[in-house]
Amino acid sequence: MKNFILKVKTSDKNIVTLFFIAVFIFAIMGILSPKSFLSVTNLQGMCIQFPEFGILSFGMMLAMISGGIDLSLVGIANLSGIVGTVVMLKMDGGIESIPFGILAALLTGLLCGIFNGALIGYLKIPPMLVTLCGLQLFTGLGLAITKGPALTGLPQEFGYIANGTVLGIPIAVLLFAIIAVIISYLLKSTVYGQHLSFKGTNEVASRYSGINNLKVTIITYGISGILGAVSGILMASHYNSAKSDYGTSFTLLSLLIVVLGGTNPDGGKGKVLGVTLSIIVLQLVSSAFNILRVNSFVKTFVWGLILIFIMIFTSFMDSKNMERKAKKQ
Amino acid sequence: MKKRLKNNLSTNEMIVVYIIFGLSMLIGIVNPVFFGTATLISLSRSMLVTLIFAICEMIVIISGGIDVSFPAISCISLYATIKFLLFTGLDSPILAFAMAGLIGMAFGALNAFLIVRFKIAPLIATLGVSSVVNGATLAFLGTDEISNIPDNIDQLSKAFIYTYTSPDGITYQLTALILIPIAVCIAAYVILKFTMLGRGIYAIGGDKNAARIAGFNVTKIQFIIYMTSGFFAGIGGITYMILMRQASPQVLMGSEMMVIAAVVVGGTRITGGHGTVIGTILGVSLITLVQNNLIMLGVPTHFQTFVVGMIIVIGTSITSIRAKKIANSAKV
Repeated sequence: MKNFILKVKTSDKNIVTLFFIAVFIFAIMGILSPKSFLSVTNLQGMCIQFPEFGILSFGMMLAMISGGIDLSLVGIANLSGIVGTVVMLKMDGGIESIPFGILAALLTGLLCGIFNGALIGYLKIPPMLVTLCGLQLFTGLGLAITKGPALTGLPQEFGYIANGTVLGIPIAVLLFAIIAVIISYLLKSTVYGQHLSFKGTNEVASRYSGINNLKVTIITYGISGILGAVSGILMASHYNSAKSDYGTSFTLLSLLIVVLGGTNPDGGKGKVLGVTLSIIVLQLVSSAFNILRVNSFVKTFVWGLILIFIMIFTSFMDSKNMERKAKKQ
Repeated sequence: MKKRLKNNLSTNEMIVVYIIFGLSMLIGIVNPVFFGTATLISLSRSMLVTLIFAICEMIVIISGGIDVSFPAISCISLYATIKFLLFTGLDSPILAFAMAGLIGMAFGALNAFLIVRFKIAPLIATLGVSSVVNGATLAFLGTDEISNIPDNIDQLSKAFIYTYTSPDGITYQLTALILIPIAVCIAAYVILKFTMLGRGIYAIGGDKNAARIAGFNVTKIQFIIYMTSGFFAGIGGITYMILMRQASPQVLMGSEMMVIAAVVVGGTRITGGHGTVIGTILGVSLITLVQNNLIMLGVPTHFQTFVVGMIIVIGTSITSIRAKKIANSAKV
């Protein structure tokens, strides 16, 4: 027990706070509308929704740990979804075309990511600008392929990826869990993960200690691109169609999630657990709003407020810590 | 002498001029109608509002920040103003501009407060404000489009300073609202070039600490920058409303990308410290030219986003390659 208390005390404050917020929302909603909030349908509905932007958030997190940002993720997701769909449609939309479609989508995501990474790492254009351009470019490419309307006529079986379940657990959630574990492994137990956080903390120092910054950047944005593509596949599967402007609100949302999850916007720090918890918190808030029948525009409003307050809170805590350190000395 | 000429011919501004020139020739060859006063008038009409935004965005970027909240601020300013005017029955263009400007300025102050006081990264702070403002506009002010704009204000859309009648009898009129961006450009040029405030803006963009040590009041200058940006976001919003003769709460959302692109293509460095008014005007012209005239080149509309994105990527790449070259070149 003592051990446990010590563990809680030494663990990340941010993660503990998030955990309590999640429990708090659960409790409040459980009291306010126990029937609809705690129903299996609602829980399953939540599980289908969050992997789409959750996986995007991991991409954003990686980019942010490297000291950059990836605003093009939604563009990558839609473009990959569209390319995958086109490949499947070209192959007459049978069940055997699904693996090829998925492969094409992942490849598209990887290429888009590498494109971002190359511009950022090699030409030294600021990440924010590159990915903002990337968003425009990839969305534009998607629009050029679809010519505007959504692409439909996907194979029936493709829908199972987002909507199907295994042993009662939605496949999307399983996918999300697998990705979370992989990213966590990458960050904690690989050389790449160490290099990534070194680079994010101090780019010049990491170059002088022999880390190939260009390689790390390209790998980071490449992975981010693949994650974008996975999310794109989920979206295409969820709506059973592909379009160039699905999920436009996800850019802000994933940024919010990542910052809320305790990732340092200046780079260097970030935890999968924190981001996962913040994804869950936001999904709970979103579902709560839906059940209480709050206008969806209020949601945008509240998300912005949460982002600003979290940032103010972090900055406040930082300055307090600094004061404490100064006093100790 | 020769070297100076060579330097002048290869500045960022000149590169944009070359691109504009080349593109115009291309469009002109495909479609000779392009060369004419009519094109000039329609071009200046479409770049009017963008130019107001771009000049403010440029000043923010020079100071080392970024502002992605101005479309949202612009929308709330114009929408709240028009709702207020319709509700009270007041009908005065000056009141409309003043009110929109003040609302914008208040949100600009909020941006500055978050960025200066809490040291939040400008992108994240303005993204958050953008979301809050946009959500508030739609949730609390309503979503319907308003087209019954009060008469006196509506009159402004019919004020022209120049009328041109083409040989085939179609008249093209240059709206008097073009005077607003012209005034903004001149003011920005004078402030950036000849005043201490302007020097301070460049200094902050170069190195904030150095600027502080050199004696600039960094907090004050940053407040001025973001509040000015907010103010002109409001003014731009009302201008857009008068131009389109319609008020909609979401019409300008998404234009931030285009404006930042125009600023960057015009040679302003996104990392701060560099940028000129003339470059920005050229950047806006180029982007507007592309947007308006791709159709004339036979490029279908659904390719437009892609082509504009491509141009931005190429534009920023050229700027970066040049910056890299300068950084790598031998220092004297």
